[in-house]
Amino acid sequence: MSITVRNLVKRYGQLEVVHSISLDVADGEFVSLLGPSGCGKTTTLRCIAGLEDASGGSISIDGKIVSEPEKNVLVPTYSRDIGMVFQSYAVWPHMTVAKNVAFPLSVRGVSSDEIRRQVDEALGIVGLTELKDRYPSQLSGGQQQRVALARAVIGKPKVLLFDEPLSNLDAKLREGTRVEIRRIQRRLNVAALYVTHDQEEALTMSDRVIVMKSGHVMQAGKPRELYHEPVNRFVGDFVGTASFLPVEATGDPGVWRTADGTSVCVRRAAMLGNSKACQLMLRPESVSILDDDAQAAGSNSLKGRVLEASYMGPYTEYLVEVSGGTLKVHSQFDFAVDAPVQVHFNPDSGRIVPGE
Amino acid sequence: MHEAQSAVPIARKPRLRWDREVLLKVIYAATLVLVVLLVMTPLAALIYGSFRSSAPGVEGDWTIANYANLASANLLSTIWLTLLVGVLSAVFCVVIGTAMALIIHRTDFAYKNIITALIGLAFYFPAFILAMAWIILGSPGGLINFLFRDVLGITDGVKIYSVAGIVFVTILHQVPFVYLLMRGPIISMDGVFEEAARAAGARSHHVLFRITLPLLSYSLLSSLILTFVLAIEQFAIPAMLGLPGHITLLPTQIYLLVRFPPTDYGLAAAVGLTLAALTSLAILAQRRVTRAGRMATVTGKAGHLRTLPLGRWRWAANTFCFGFVFLSLILPSLILIYMSVIKWYVSNPFLAQYTLRNYEFIWNSADAHKSIWNTLIVSGVGGIFGVALAFLTSYFTVRLKPPSYRLLDFTASLPFGVPGMVMALGFLWAYAYLPLPFYGTLALIIVAFITRYLPYATEAIGGQLVQIDKSLEEAAWVGGATKLGGLRRILLPLSLPSIQGAYFLLFMAFFREMSSVVLLFTSNSKVISISIWGFFEGADWGLASSFSVLTTLIIFGVIWLIVWLMPAARRV
Ligand SMILES: Nc1ncnc2c1ncn2[C@@H]1O[C@H](COP(=O)(O)OP(=O)(O)OP(=O)(O)O)[C@@H](O)[C@H]1O
Ligand SMILES: [Mg+2]
Repeated sequence: MSITVRNLVKRYGQLEVVHSISLDVADGEFVSLLGPSGCGKTTTLRCIAGLEDASGGSISIDGKIVSEPEKNVLVPTYSRDIGMVFQSYAVWPHMTVAKNVAFPLSVRGVSSDEIRRQVDEALGIVGLTELKDRYPSQLSGGQQQRVALARAVIGKPKVLLFDEPLSNLDAKLREGTRVEIRRIQRRLNVAALYVTHDQEEALTMSDRVIVMKSGHVMQAGKPRELYHEPVNRFVGDFVGTASFLPVEATGDPGVWRTADGTSVCVRRAAMLGNSKACQLMLRPESVSILDDDAQAAGSNSLKGRVLEASYMGPYTEYLVEVSGGTLKVHSQFDFAVDAPVQVHFNPDSGRIVPGE
Repeated sequence: MHEAQSAVPIARKPRLRWDREVLLKVIYAATLVLVVLLVMTPLAALIYGSFRSSAPGVEGDWTIANYANLASANLLSTIWLTLLVGVLSAVFCVVIGTAMALIIHRTDFAYKNIITALIGLAFYFPAFILAMAWIILGSPGGLINFLFRDVLGITDGVKIYSVAGIVFVTILHQVPFVYLLMRGPIISMDGVFEEAARAAGARSHHVLFRITLPLLSYSLLSSLILTFVLAIEQFAIPAMLGLPGHITLLPTQIYLLVRFPPTDYGLAAAVGLTLAALTSLAILAQRRVTRAGRMATVTGKAGHLRTLPLGRWRWAANTFCFGFVFLSLILPSLILIYMSVIKWYVSNPFLAQYTLRNYEFIWNSADAHKSIWNTLIVSGVGGIFGVALAFLTSYFTVRLKPPSYRLLDFTASLPFGVPGMVMALGFLWAYAYLPLPFYGTLALIIVAFITRYLPYATEAIGGQLVQIDKSLEEAAWVGGATKLGGLRRILLPLSLPSIQGAYFLLFMAFFREMSSVVLLFTSNSKVISISIWGFFEGADWGLASSFSVLTTLIIFGVIWLIVWLMPAARRV
């Protein structure tokens, strides 16, 4: 494991913002920390970097414990051997591109020939070789971003940390840079921990995603697992788009009752524990929508009414009011607003999750 | 996957094993101790002294008589007079200074560059030289009274040795300061408010009085208070214009109590603390105003401010601006130059006999050389130490914030409220009890100056340090630098402009300072201001004038040099 975090706690005075979280990042793995604003992603990342002092738990990087406040271990940032890309890039305005990139080596007393060779190599990787003598003020935002990236990877640190590095770029550039970051990380084969609140970014880039909420880890898994098998309503809602309907257990395994008493058959369920309030989660693409008078395709049909229709190009997104809530449905067929419809889903595509 | 092996090779080895931040901790401890000692020593000594019945170092008793004596009719009227001078000067300064800033920056005033440059010079024109020039101009036998009496036939002319004289010269001295304070807010104001008023049908003078000035009200109030503080704590002007006519303000009162028999150091301490209480209260109020103002003023992007056509007011504006510069800079300089090259005083330059003997005297005077040297050492070397201490202080209080940084912050800002004269008195009390061979040395003067001006330099540097994004420093730590390394390689170069600015500020302040030094100098540690005053007191106006002319040239030369060497310094 390149990064191992066990029961990490971070307090600001009385206020505990990270509650005993644990996570792992394996060698060469790309892991995202995903969660809404203020959930503690940045704090966690900064504890790993040593920019914040953790209050409890342990953190090891490449098998060496770097933070364990209970045993008074707090390795300073400068000897943790990490590379980090900041949200604001933090490219030093008083140094040229080459000087910026050389910094991690030059503070470690690497010989200047070696530095020159590695700077060229790092700048080559990010495609900035021509700009090495420029000052940051003469670069575009995207180019500054690449300088920050080159500076983070030079000399091959043990782990790479990213704190929302793409949030200052425009949408087009962002997509290109995602691919670029992934390419470089694969090429260096170094562990990366990537903080973002953009679920699309997390799903497309990561080997694994860790979803956080108010200082707790909700779920960790491959993007597919998170999308199809969220452990609770929060994860289901945060990762991708989903609709939820309150349901009750009937006693029969796999059969649930909606608010108006309709029975539905749902084969997949998360660990429910003793949670009473269960929710049926439906992804918009796994629900089909039919005319009200069409022959019901099977048992899992709910009657409803179209509230809104938004034409998206490949499909139309409908908001359908059914008993107990509203559902988002994607369909290629046309339905009028206010039209009575029925919606249908496959027993394998719905999922029962514990509610709040 | 084979690419992975050819990637950048491993070359990141940690160099040292032990905690490399130890040095930083030592530096912090040293800074904290030094600042607390510098600031607290004089203040504690002053408080101690104000409860003693005898002079420093002499046996005496605990007493509260000094405070009781404050209530004497004599001292009460001094306090009132001080407040009166403060309020009058502040009000006039703010009105004139703001009017000038508005004319220069918001109208189509034609001589913007030359007037700004001249006001800049007037700002650095030392108060003691200005006061002296105006005594030469306005004394009973001076040029102005000569014109009044012999040319215009007016018998009772001007009286420069008066409260009005003090206020007049104070205004001439401090208007440039108000101009510089108001210029920023006036230039950076968001034009949209005025545009809205114009769109609503307001005419220019409505816009000015109903929108522009109210929007500037926090800045105006803050300038008013700062000018008031400067006016009540100044020494040179009330000393030179007030003492001959037996007009004393609080700072000159302290001087009399310490330097002229019968001395009363205890009472001086009590008077000093009274003055410090007044200035501290005013500074606290000013800080509140600024803080409230920062929240209230919606500063937008600069630009889009309409320049108003002066039209038929052009002549009034020109007369006003050039008239001010004439009175505060040009006329005083001319009269000093004139005085310095004539054999004896004649009001009519065509009847005068000219000579260079004053300059020859200074050229040959070891004493004069010594005081020039002393001043350059105090300003040049003292400035370096002051800036170093200020940089460390603001680094710790603004960026690193180690435990107990608040103590450092608070202590370092205390001298804001302590007038130079009071600070010097505190040092006078303190070294009677300290086993340091400091008395009469330049070191003592440097120490007093640094202490006095530490908060100004700290503020100038801290203001820039807070603006440097934290992640720039963190990126250096992540890249393998220690805190000290980040400080040296990232923060120091990035804050260089403010460091140069702070050095310029300290150099100029130290060079022209008089109030902190009159209680501390001996014949060995004289500085220029003291020498000039000495000549002047000895009725040697010619020598005093030539020395003043040389000093002014040195000051303007140094300004030119510093601005040339460190272009960034000008901006602070
Ligand atoms: N210095 C601090 N003092 C007190 N509370 C803090 C401090 N820094 C962060 N917090 C709190 O800790 C919580 C987590 O903050 P953090 O910056 O880790 O959030 P985040 O998940 O990165 O959010 P975002 O997506 O908005 O960047 C927040 O509620 C924040 O208010
Ligand atoms: Mg964050």
